[in-house]
Amino acid sequence: MEMNTLELGPIKIKNRLLIRIFSALDDRLGLREILNDEVFEKISPAYLGLWSCFGGITFFLFINQVVTGMLVMVYYQPTIEQAHASVAHIMNEVPFGWLVRGMHAWGSNLMIVTIIIHMAKIFVHGIYKAPRELNWVTGVTLLLLTLGLSFSGYLLPWTQLAYWATVVGTETPAAMPYVGEYIRFAMRGGDDISQVTLTRFFALHVMIMPVTIAAVIGLHIAQIRRQGIAGPL
Amino acid sequence: MTTDAMSGNEPTRRGFLDLALGLLGAISAIGVVYPVGMYLWPRVDKKEGDETRSMKLPVGDVPIGEAKFVRFLNKPAVIMRPNEQEIYALSAVCTHLGCVVKWNDAGKDLFCPCHGGKFDVKGNVLGGPPPKPLPSFTAKIENEYIVVAEA
Repeated sequence: MEMNTLELGPIKIKNRLLIRIFSALDDRLGLREILNDEVFEKISPAYLGLWSCFGGITFFLFINQVVTGMLVMVYYQPTIEQAHASVAHIMNEVPFGWLVRGMHAWGSNLMIVTIIIHMAKIFVHGIYKAPRELNWVTGVTLLLLTLGLSFSGYLLPWTQLAYWATVVGTETPAAMPYVGEYIRFAMRGGDDISQVTLTRFFALHVMIMPVTIAAVIGLHIAQIRRQGIAGPL
Repeated sequence: MTTDAMSGNEPTRRGFLDLALGLLGAISAIGVVYPVGMYLWPRVDKKEGDETRSMKLPVGDVPIGEAKFVRFLNKPAVIMRPNEQEIYALSAVCTHLGCVVKWNDAGKDLFCPCHGGKFDVKGNVLGGPPPKPLPSFTAKIENEYIVVAEA
């Protein structure tokens, strides 16, 4: 049956080609049902305001980190000889390199800010309480992963600031009794900060932690979807 | 929607706003695609000598019966002296799929390790898949120097 107008919530589509493409997808994937349930007829509770947006803003910033991170990785070279020169090349010579890397560096800072606001709101409103305790657990896991991503990314430009911050950051856990020195050894991949350290921080920063955090974000959002957004308690 | 205003060619408030929204969307899309495209497009730094149409090297660099691989016109090339009188300069890029050919000292010819193409010192195909001979350059000896130039 040919439709003249396709109505999707507030959107009205009259273009026959678009209608046919949508209908073909709808027949096979139940697209209309998903869009109606999850987008057009999904009612947000009236008590949601600005302060309820910071989880979503953090997610948006995470997507920004993924996209700009992919772009920075196109020119970055993870070797102790080339790392700093390649970052300088991105900042000074590649067109819009300053913008892409700036968005990545500033985005990481902003992400920490929005996470703190998000956590403060959840804490003050008491929304971490039953039945949402596990969501607090995945949330704190996400905070730790974000800090881990920030820390591992900090070394990659291989500047004096990056180098000594990593010396200090790997020295700190060494103060723990019994296990501390082993943790420092594992983090550095040896006794000193070296190419091995840069390589493992690079692997953590571009692959291991991003994949992990994406999975935990999925879990975090699935929990919200299952339990519904809570109002202030 | 079948109001009179929608069915005719009269401009409508909604139509105007849809157009304005579409234009804003298009400008935003350009604002993302242009910087990302500029960022990703490679910029090759020209090295000194890349544009030189001829090259010169001491005659002792290419012993009789051997081959010397050089970079000429920013691509691999090979210079060979099969005997005292003859000298040949060829592109070293195989005409099959672009691998760099190697000197086969046993047969005194050129061999492509990728798919087994074989060429003689003049660039003619002796065997294997290459469809055409290797492009050749002019090479001559002047005052104890080998001069290679575009043919």
